[in-house]
Amino acid sequence: MQFTMRRRLVATSIAVALGATTLAACSSDSDGKDAADSGPVSLTYWAWAPGMDKVAAIWNKGPGKEAGIQVTVKKQASGDELVTKIITAAKAKKAPDLVQAEYQAIPTLVSNDVLADITDEVKGTKDKFAPGIWQQVTLGTDSAYALPQDSGPLMFYYREDLFKKYELTVPTTWDEFAETARKLKKEDSSKALTTFSANDSGQFAGLAQQAGAKWWTTEGQKWKVSIDDAATKKVADFWGGLVEEGAIDNQPMYTPAWNKALNTGKQIAWVSAVWAPGVLTTGAPDTAGKWAMAPLPQWSKGENATGSWGGSSTGITNDSQHKEAAAKFATWLNTDEEALAAMVKEGGIYPAATAAQTGGALSKAPDFFSNQPDFYTKAAEIAKTTAPSAWGPNVNVAYTTFKDAFGKAAKAKSKAQFESALTAMQDDTVTDMKKQGFEVAE
Amino acid sequence: MSGTTMNTGKAAHGSGRAPRARSRTRATGGSVRRAPYAFLFPAVVLFLLFFVLPIGYAVYLSLRKVEVKGLGLGSGARSEVWTGLSNYTAALSDSELVNGALRVLGYGAIVVPVMLGSALLFALMLDTERVRLTSFTRLAIFLPYAIPGVIAALLWGFLYLPSVSPFYFLLDKAGLPQPDLLDGGPLFIALSNIAIWGGTGFNMIVIYTSLRSIPVEVYEAAKLDGCSPLQIALRIKIPMVAPSLVLTFFFSIIATLQVFAEPTTLRPLTNSVSTTWSPLMKVYQDAFGNNDIYSAAAQAVIIAVATLVLSFGFLRVANARSKQEEAR
Amino acid sequence: MSSLAAQNSAREAAPAAGAAPGTTQGPPPRRRVAFVPTLVLLLGAVYCLLPVAWVVMAATKSGKELFSTLTLLPGTGFADNLADLTAYRDGIYWQWMGNSALYAGLGALLSTAVSAVSGYALAVYRFRGRETVFNILLAGVLMPPVILAIPQYLLLAKADLTDSYASVLLPLVLSPYGVYLGRIYATAAVPADVVEAGRMDGAGEWRIFARIGLPMMVPGLVTIFLFQFVAIWNNFLLPYIMLSDDEKFPMTLGLFTLLAQGNSQPALYTLVITGSLLAIVPLIALFLVIQRFWSLDLLSGAVKS
Repeated sequence: MQFTMRRRLVATSIAVALGATTLAACSSDSDGKDAADSGPVSLTYWAWAPGMDKVAAIWNKGPGKEAGIQVTVKKQASGDELVTKIITAAKAKKAPDLVQAEYQAIPTLVSNDVLADITDEVKGTKDKFAPGIWQQVTLGTDSAYALPQDSGPLMFYYREDLFKKYELTVPTTWDEFAETARKLKKEDSSKALTTFSANDSGQFAGLAQQAGAKWWTTEGQKWKVSIDDAATKKVADFWGGLVEEGAIDNQPMYTPAWNKALNTGKQIAWVSAVWAPGVLTTGAPDTAGKWAMAPLPQWSKGENATGSWGGSSTGITNDSQHKEAAAKFATWLNTDEEALAAMVKEGGIYPAATAAQTGGALSKAPDFFSNQPDFYTKAAEIAKTTAPSAWGPNVNVAYTTFKDAFGKAAKAKSKAQFESALTAMQDDTVTDMKKQGFEVAE
Repeated sequence: MSGTTMNTGKAAHGSGRAPRARSRTRATGGSVRRAPYAFLFPAVVLFLLFFVLPIGYAVYLSLRKVEVKGLGLGSGARSEVWTGLSNYTAALSDSELVNGALRVLGYGAIVVPVMLGSALLFALMLDTERVRLTSFTRLAIFLPYAIPGVIAALLWGFLYLPSVSPFYFLLDKAGLPQPDLLDGGPLFIALSNIAIWGGTGFNMIVIYTSLRSIPVEVYEAAKLDGCSPLQIALRIKIPMVAPSLVLTFFFSIIATLQVFAEPTTLRPLTNSVSTTWSPLMKVYQDAFGNNDIYSAAAQAVIIAVATLVLSFGFLRVANARSKQEEAR
Repeated sequence: MSSLAAQNSAREAAPAAGAAPGTTQGPPPRRRVAFVPTLVLLLGAVYCLLPVAWVVMAATKSGKELFSTLTLLPGTGFADNLADLTAYRDGIYWQWMGNSALYAGLGALLSTAVSAVSGYALAVYRFRGRETVFNILLAGVLMPPVILAIPQYLLLAKADLTDSYASVLLPLVLSPYGVYLGRIYATAAVPADVVEAGRMDGAGEWRIFARIGLPMMVPGLVTIFLFQFVAIWNNFLLPYIMLSDDEKFPMTLGLFTLLAQGNSQPALYTLVITGSLLAIVPLIALFLVIQRFWSLDLLSGAVKS
């Protein structure tokens, strides 16, 4: 330990004396580990996706070593709390160089002066991503605040065997979806097509996004909030109607009861994102090979759009002393073929970069969907149709109100309450923004 | 010597005021006078550093708010400014906070008596003569306190949600009605059950440890007088552990008013528990969900003051009563 | 005295000073069992153990069995779960376990020490400001810890202490609950005349505390140690805010990262359940060690010293 320290000290002074280039040349001659230790730039990266440390190790051994940039991953727990933790750390000037940030958290982080504007550093990467994805890291401006890492286009998952058994057809429109739900209820009242979960704001946001909703937009120096716009109302009415008539269940997802319902075929379909196979593998293990995936139902025939649920980006903080180096790593992580393949393999994520969505690690369908060999080809087709989404600086407030208001409405099984819940979401969001001093266009 | 020591010593704490009668007698010089301050020094320093400073900071934050310019994007668009008491007035006029307080009072009305009652009961039983399996039951009752909260939601989900719960399975087999535990009145019972399950053992140990410190000869005298075990428990043991009972009550009131873990555990399982079910959940939601530490701090101060009134009020009443008894 | 001692031995768990060895483990006297109290305690134990049994059973289930078999029936996957947990990221779970042991062990030790001296001072001395100091220390629990975590982080950041072991340890050393308990136990256990007698013998105040007061307070102090140990062991929010380096994480926080890997990731339920079960084992061991100390009659300490 002492030895390494001294060595690093020596190395640093040499670096000062001779300039960094010389050092890089010297150290590449010595054995790998020490060269890594004495690298001039070391970055920290807060991430929650599994296996990111292994992906970073590839960088550290390969391109990172050449560039003299070493990255240490510090694994975090994802969730709303992480945003607060990052903001608090940034307040104390202790934020890491890089953070994994969900798309909807980007405006909050930018607004709190956490994420740096990296437009210049990541020039030329825009084309690697679908426009709807890229727009989420620019917040609709000309700047870029992060690089897209993974995405979660919405799809329709259903039990192929049970659909056959009850003679249901795969719905291509939401009207057909409702019919399917009713038909199933008629065939077997103990079953439900799916559930409306008031716990998962992200899913609802994705569905609204598909319908064309743009919850936050800017007009000059003012924000415009339209959570209760016609498109979202349509979505809320639709689901509220199904819950009210009892065609679908009203209990939250991700509970032991929900897992059991999927596992035993009590619920036979799930509107979810491309990452659903992983969740089904652990939550409904007995149903392997019995599911199939189809595009999300559309609002009218011939349309072709989907929303997204989840997905995250790599951002660089204002605290970082090495923004350029961090941007190099972020670019590599999210555009390099080897990096993306490693992320898919180690982290099980669905990459945001278009080129990585087919072939390579994703050429084979997930084990759970072995009955659908073209799973990822189909998924990539769907991913291209992702509608743009528009996030604002207080998504969390809207999401919190969603959980409470829609939870109440779902419990009451009342379509009318679904509508008022939406109004509550809009009102709470606007009130909070005004309280913070944002200019809000009425 | 030891014999007399025991007796006089005990007679004094019976009334819980042992410390009084004494060191004043011969305050032997400065070292006695300085000693308590020296002994309290570490606690006071730690208190200043890790309680007073952060509390002060929280109070400071409660008087501040963020002000955003324009779209609030880019550096310098967001600044912290003084806002006076507006966070407080907003919190006090927020009906959700009041509703939360009412829910918490209902919940506390179940939890505190049941939990402390059973803790006292178990402690007395453990301290009874000729009881078997004390080691096992003592550990078993304490064990829930040791279960990490990380799996609480999963654990209670498996026990409360009808489709996976073994109890509903049995009810179903027996053809009995199956109430919805996660709604309406039963929800309070479901929540209280978690708290009682987790906290009884803890309080039992506090009381039990106190019972252990009662010297046996106190009972022997009573026994010779022909007191039954029940009478000994009621007339001697309970009054002697009164200070511990006061302590458990005091902290249970505080824990109830700051209830957070139990409803947070059940929240993901049902539509019936909102993110603002209890006042502290709202504080947490504002601080960690909505990044509004300023409002959260103001609400926390309000909760702290309410807790102060209730808990110290209780302590005062309890102390006044014990003084009265001393006087008798 | 001897007749007293004879009667005392009937009191199973608390032999009088100087009588039979002071542990519950001593052979129970051959007398009638008190049925009602035993039954009440057993009922309490069953009530408390049922949910714990769920953790035990669930830990034996493979991921496949967790949601598909009856809740309270055992599964077949315990060995696999254990192997998976150990294999997870090169055994970082055991690192978390070690960290938790360090946080909880050292933290509880320091906390007990502070509670002991403070409780003793508040119980034994009569001095100006005693009740004020006591009440103010108690008032420390009024501010919900949830709201203190962020200010504590910001203040420790000023001292450049965040993301260190100290950042999790230091804020937990002072426990108002521990001080209160310490005072109550000291009041009950340390008689005034013993302290007086010590002074008459010319002992200094510290010496009286260390040699006479402290041994008398042992049963109470182990309780404080136990509580603080478990409280720190299961603490979540403070380490969550303070630490970013997951090699310094305590077990609870580490397990939480397995549950919260983003909504696109399946939560690693079986690992978390198995990890939680293993995390209870050291606490049981601690409890078993500590309960021996409760059986010492408080006054025996005085007699011995």
